[in-house]
Amino acid sequence: MSAPASPSDLAARIADAHARRAPLRIRGAGTWLDAGRPCAGDPLDIGALAGIVEYTPGDLTITARAGTSLRELDRVTAAEGQWLGLDPAGAPEGTIGATVATASDGPLAIAFGRVRDLVLGLECITGTGEVTRVGGRVVKNVAGFDLVRLHTGAWGTLGVISEVTLRLRARPEVDRAFVVTGDERASLESRLAPLTDLPLAPLALELLDPALSAALGLARGTCLLVRLGGNAERVDAQQRALGALGDVREVDTAVFMRLAADEPSDALVARVSHERTRVAETFRHVLEFCGTHAQWEPLVRASLSRGLVRVVLPISSTRDDVAAANVDWPSFVRTIAPPGAHVSWERLPAEAWPHVPCAVADTISTGLRDALDPARVLNAGLLGEPARRADAVPRADARRVLA
Amino acid sequence: MITAGLADALRSIVGPRWVKQRPAELTAYDSDALPGYRATPSFVVLPASRDEVIAVVRLLAQHGVPFVPRGAGTGLSGGALANDAVIIGLNRLTRIHAIDAGNRIAHVEPGVVNAVLQREVAPFGLQYAPDPSSQSACTIGGNVAENAGGPHCLKYGVTLNHVAAVTVCLPNGELVQFGDPASERDGYDLCGLFIGSEGCFGIATDVWVRLLPVAPAVRTLLADFPSLTDAARAVSAIIATGIVPAALEMMDQATIRAVEASIYAAGYPTDVAAVLLAEVDGLEAGLDADARTIERCCREAGARDVRIARTDGDRARLWQGRKKAFGALGRIAPHLVVQDAVVPRTRLPDVLETIAAIGARHGVAVCNVFHAGDGNIHPNISYDASDHAQAERVHAAMSEIMQACIDAGGTITGEHGVGLDKLGYMDALFTEPSLAAMCAVREVFDPDRRANPGKVVPVHACREWGGRR
Repeated sequence: MSAPASPSDLAARIADAHARRAPLRIRGAGTWLDAGRPCAGDPLDIGALAGIVEYTPGDLTITARAGTSLRELDRVTAAEGQWLGLDPAGAPEGTIGATVATASDGPLAIAFGRVRDLVLGLECITGTGEVTRVGGRVVKNVAGFDLVRLHTGAWGTLGVISEVTLRLRARPEVDRAFVVTGDERASLESRLAPLTDLPLAPLALELLDPALSAALGLARGTCLLVRLGGNAERVDAQQRALGALGDVREVDTAVFMRLAADEPSDALVARVSHERTRVAETFRHVLEFCGTHAQWEPLVRASLSRGLVRVVLPISSTRDDVAAANVDWPSFVRTIAPPGAHVSWERLPAEAWPHVPCAVADTISTGLRDALDPARVLNAGLLGEPARRADAVPRADARRVLA
Repeated sequence: MITAGLADALRSIVGPRWVKQRPAELTAYDSDALPGYRATPSFVVLPASRDEVIAVVRLLAQHGVPFVPRGAGTGLSGGALANDAVIIGLNRLTRIHAIDAGNRIAHVEPGVVNAVLQREVAPFGLQYAPDPSSQSACTIGGNVAENAGGPHCLKYGVTLNHVAAVTVCLPNGELVQFGDPASERDGYDLCGLFIGSEGCFGIATDVWVRLLPVAPAVRTLLADFPSLTDAARAVSAIIATGIVPAALEMMDQATIRAVEASIYAAGYPTDVAAVLLAEVDGLEAGLDADARTIERCCREAGARDVRIARTDGDRARLWQGRKKAFGALGRIAPHLVVQDAVVPRTRLPDVLETIAAIGARHGVAVCNVFHAGDGNIHPNISYDASDHAQAERVHAAMSEIMQACIDAGGTITGEHGVGLDKLGYMDALFTEPSLAAMCAVREVFDPDRRANPGKVVPVHACREWGGRR
């Protein structure tokens, strides 16, 4: 079937699928199709729903169809000296709809916020084919219940996003990137300790493991990749402050685009999150885990102030490497994160997913699916197949705290 | 059903002192900070702990009795009023369980006053960013329920952006946790969904708020303008430079004069049409350059004078006038209607002109004091509700003002919430399926519609929803 050309076409297709109880697999640019759990369904392509709907630069907001690529958003806003300030991993051909649906962000999130902080409004088609519009086009809005936050990161399982309104930022007057290297013999904790008191307000601050540093041609050991923005005086002062962390060398800011785009599209990917004070510990744990548990050399980086470590195992999630490695998946998915940390998997081989706890199996999440996609036609199974409300168990995000 | 037996059972949970039933006691709870709406609750229960909240909510669930959670009652939407319902006041849950300075997070009870939290985290060099003007009284639980903002949310964001996790007592008495204080998790953003749900999804019993380092340096400027339009143009020019001011606040002449005639006098010039209060903060390096850029934008837009606060005392005084403006306006007439619309920032100049024209046509005096940087306007009208003809003119003017803001691409509330006050505008803002989806989501949390009933989404919108076919 052809791709829907309008929100009402899209709504009709979903209403039809709902009536027939026929599952759909929502597709933007297709770069995420192998992410999440195995998910069958007729492909529903939103790629034709693309283009800018409204852009008034003075408002610093933009409204675009969900199928609009990040590259296109960047091009249109750059012409006005603005940007979205969102740099998720993956090719720039990825769509804004998928970025919002998967809540994918990148190094700039420490300065500009995560996807949930940037989305102002959505048009979203529910699993019964109802066209809903939530949030708005202004930068501050508390009218009605916040279904914008509900759909952001829901992977299309509560509705198909057809249009997005986002907050923009002016591009910084000066935008420079620096690599900081230091004594590889010193502990990570001692190397990072000065960060606490330095007068820094970076746009991005990533810790890169030696493999990733080498892959990007930045350094031979662990390095810090820092992006500084603002007026010249502010950037210069921060550049000087970086000296307390080691040897500072300027690099092209394009390195951040490569950091996002060079990630192998079918690699195994995990995000390991813990308290920010434990980020060095988390980082080290992940590296040691990968060294002992699998023969694959990982690419690892950490957004330090978020306590977030991104692990990329550059092997195909679908090819024979996985089978050949003979991995103990139950142990693998459980122990990649240190005790107390949380791991979110983006890509895993099909045989590994059953060992990952479902994050939407609690009664509220299940109830929300019953309300918004009662026939479970939207990306069914992608987040795990939560039971119907009657036999749902409270766990994961909505954990029962007291009996 | 509300029975004498229920009141006794509640007393046995919270203690006899903490169930308020006498008319004189209930008077304090019959309105919030927006006079004009009044409702007397059946009674008021004041639990002292999470366990007591749960026990109270379970008991009310067993009896099928509706309830309204309430913090300090400083809301401006009629949202904390209870009609044929029990008010559950959270003001006794005032413990700050923990301040984790290293991880920049605080675990607090919902009754902790915003300003108290600010005071307690200050010794660590930290702050809790949302700073509603009522912060000396309003509570964190109320801030969560309303997704409260404040002047500094232009740069730092609203409550949504600063809450990591909540535990919630659902309307059936079940306790759940949304979000995680220690890590970012996958799954639905139920914490984000809960924030701003105006007491309709349950009661937050624990809140983990994120803290930010106090900015090492700050510059506060006051610019005065011969016209409101010039001031609005200055706002657009500042935003367009790419500088994100910590705050960008505007007051018109009527507001300035009210402030200057009150005990909150801040030294604002009373002969100008508008003043703009701008603040930039952050690293010391480069901050003066930003302040100079803002000054230039103001002068080019027609500012008569721009001054920079020299001392902390100067700065505090400039802010006091702004933060107490609503209090000062309250002195002018017995009643004050406060609106909270948001318009796209480029539409500010023409929307302000439209509002002035609407006021003139209805013979009512509109004063404006607002968060200009966000386009979040607060047109206020002082009036005497006992004068029915005047009250009707005020009501008619406000309806037109709201419609003008919606027509400009805006919304009906930026930070005060819908409550009762803006319920009538929801149909103009949202389509029927959108409102129905909101109702369907509410029912997941509260299938019996007992939590803050009759607020936020008009009841008629809930009748039909295709979601359960």
